[in-house]
Amino acid sequence: MSILDNKILQISVKNVKEKLRHWQFLFFSLGLPIMFTLMFYFILGTEEDPSGRTGFDYGFSGMVIYAVGIGTMNAAIMFAGEKGSGMLTRLDTMPTGRKNIFLGTLISETFFLMLQIIIMFIIGYGFLGLYFVNPLVLFIAFLVTILFGISSVGMGIMIASVSKNVEIANAFSLMVYMILIFISGSLMPFESVIVYFTPPYWAKQLYLQLTVMGDGFNDNLYSSSLIGAGAKAIPITLLGGLLIIVAYTVIFVILGILLFQKKTKF
Amino acid sequence: MSINALPIAIEIKDLKKHFKEIKAVDGISLKIKKGELFSILGPNGAGKTTLVRMLTTVLTPTVGDANINGYSILTGKKDIVKKIGVCPQEITIYDVLRAEENVEFVAAMHGIPRREAKEKAIKLLEEFGIAGRKDWSKNFSGGMKRRLNLAMSLIFEPEILFLDEPTAGLDPQARRLVWDFIRDLKSRDITIILMTHDMVEADSLSDRVAIIDNGKIIAMGTPTELKEKYGSDNVLEVSFIEKNDLEVVKSNIKNLPFVANSSEIHRKDRDTLLISFQGGLKNLVKLLQQGLIENIDEVENMKFRQNSLEDVFLNLTGRRLRD
Repeated sequence: MSILDNKILQISVKNVKEKLRHWQFLFFSLGLPIMFTLMFYFILGTEEDPSGRTGFDYGFSGMVIYAVGIGTMNAAIMFAGEKGSGMLTRLDTMPTGRKNIFLGTLISETFFLMLQIIIMFIIGYGFLGLYFVNPLVLFIAFLVTILFGISSVGMGIMIASVSKNVEIANAFSLMVYMILIFISGSLMPFESVIVYFTPPYWAKQLYLQLTVMGDGFNDNLYSSSLIGAGAKAIPITLLGGLLIIVAYTVIFVILGILLFQKKTKF
Repeated sequence: MSINALPIAIEIKDLKKHFKEIKAVDGISLKIKKGELFSILGPNGAGKTTLVRMLTTVLTPTVGDANINGYSILTGKKDIVKKIGVCPQEITIYDVLRAEENVEFVAAMHGIPRREAKEKAIKLLEEFGIAGRKDWSKNFSGGMKRRLNLAMSLIFEPEILFLDEPTAGLDPQARRLVWDFIRDLKSRDITIILMTHDMVEADSLSDRVAIIDNGKIIAMGTPTELKEKYGSDNVLEVSFIEKNDLEVVKSNIKNLPFVANSSEIHRKDRDTLLISFQGGLKNLVKLLQQGLIENIDEVENMKFRQNSLEDVFLNLTGRRLRD
C-alpha cells in the first residue's frame, strides 16, 4: 500500500479539492487579502520615513495576519458543514477514526495557509518590493504565521462545536475573527491592554519586529502602536511572544478538538 | 438453506436509548440471521434511526447491548465499522466532488488501495447508472444523489448493510432500480437491515419484518405471517361524504361473522372506513348488501384490495404508518 493510500492524506486531499472548488472560499481566503494588500499599498505605500520605509512596510505584517486569521472562518465552516450534513456521522460508521479526521483537516488547512502566505509574499515582496531584513527572518516569520494560522483553525473548530449549522458557524466566526483582528491592532494600531489577550497581536508584532525592525528573539516586543509616537517596549521578549503563540495554538487546538468531540459524540 | 438454519449476524439484547424523558428505543431484542433481509417498519419517530445509530456504533445505548458479527457495539466499534455499510436516510455526499471521487473517498477510508478503488467505483457506478459523470455531485438529480448515497455504502462490499429509507424521495422508476439492486445484494449473501415506512417496500423485499412503534417492537415475522396474524385476506376501503354515514355502516357490519375488524381514518376532506374481512368476492358481495347498500348514495369512493402491512400496523396501533 502506498503512502497516497494513507487515510489522513486522503482526507487532506479531499478537503483541498473541496476548498479549491468553492469560489466563495477562494475569494475570502485568497482574493480578499490580495485585494486589501493592493488597496493598502496604494494608500500607505508611497510616503517614506527617514529610514526609507513606507507605512505599508510596517502594515504588511498586519495584512498577512489578517489573511491567515481567515482560517478561523474556514475551519468553522468546514467542521460545522461535516457535522450538519451528517457526513461526520457517516464517517463515524467507517473505519476512519476521529484522529485521522482532525489530522487530515489540520494538514489541509496548513497547506492552504502556506499557499495563502506564499501568494502574499510573492505579491508583497516580489511584486510590490516591500522591505524585509533578510530571507532567514522572513522564513521564521513564515513559520510564526503558520503557527498563528493553526491556532485560528483551533478557534474555528471550537466555534463549529457550538454552532448548530454552517450559517451560524459562518456568522459567529466572522464576528469573532473581525473583533479579534481589530482589537489586536493588527490592521490599525489599537492602544489598549486588550491587545495582549489576542493571539493576532503577538503574531503580528513578532512578524513585524523580525522582518522590518530587524530585532532578534532577545529584544523586547513593542506595544501595538509601533508605528505611532506612543509605541513603548513591553517587558516580554520576542521569544516570550513566540512561546505565547505556541501556547495559544496548543490550547486552542486541544480545546477545539475536545469540545468538538464532546458535542458530537453521543 | 432455510433462513432458520443460518448463523446469527446481529443479536440485539434489550437495547434502550433514552433522551431525557423521551424513550426513543425502549427495550428491543431480536436476532437477525446471516444473509437475511430484515426490515424494520415504523412511522417517523418510531425509533428506527436511533436503533440503527446504536447498531452502527454512532450512538451509545442507555441500556443493553448488541452483537454485530460477534462484536459488541459497546466494546467492538473498531471491528464492527470494518464490516458494516451504512446508507443514511439523509443524502450525505460531498457536493463538490464527482461521483467517482465520493465513492473512492469511502473506499480509501476502508483501506482499499487507490487503483483497486478506482476500478471498483467505475463498476459500481455503472450498475447504478451514474458512471461517467464528470460534473460535481451537486448538479445531480435527487434520484442520482440517492443512488450515489447508496453506492458509497457498497464500495467495500460490506458483510452487513444498513439501509435507512433508501428510496425516500425517488420516482417509481428509480425506486424499482434500487429495489432490484437490493435483491441482487441479498443474492450475494449480504445481511441487510432495511429501515422503512414504505410497507410495499418492506412487503416485497423482506424475509422478515419487525414493526416498531414508540421505540418498541409490536410485531415481528415474515410479511405473510404478519398479514395472517394481524389482518384478514382482504380490505374494503370506503370513503363517505358525511361522518355519520360511516358510523351507520360500522354498526351494520359489526355482527357479520367474516368481518375481522373495521378502522376509521379521518382526513381533512373525508372520512374513510377500512373493513378487513375473510374470504373473497362472495363475502364482498354480502358486505356490500348488508352493510353498505342503504348508504350507497353517500359513498364517495370505494376500493377493494388485498391486506397489506399497512393494515397490520393499523390493526395493531389504530394509526396509519404515515399519520
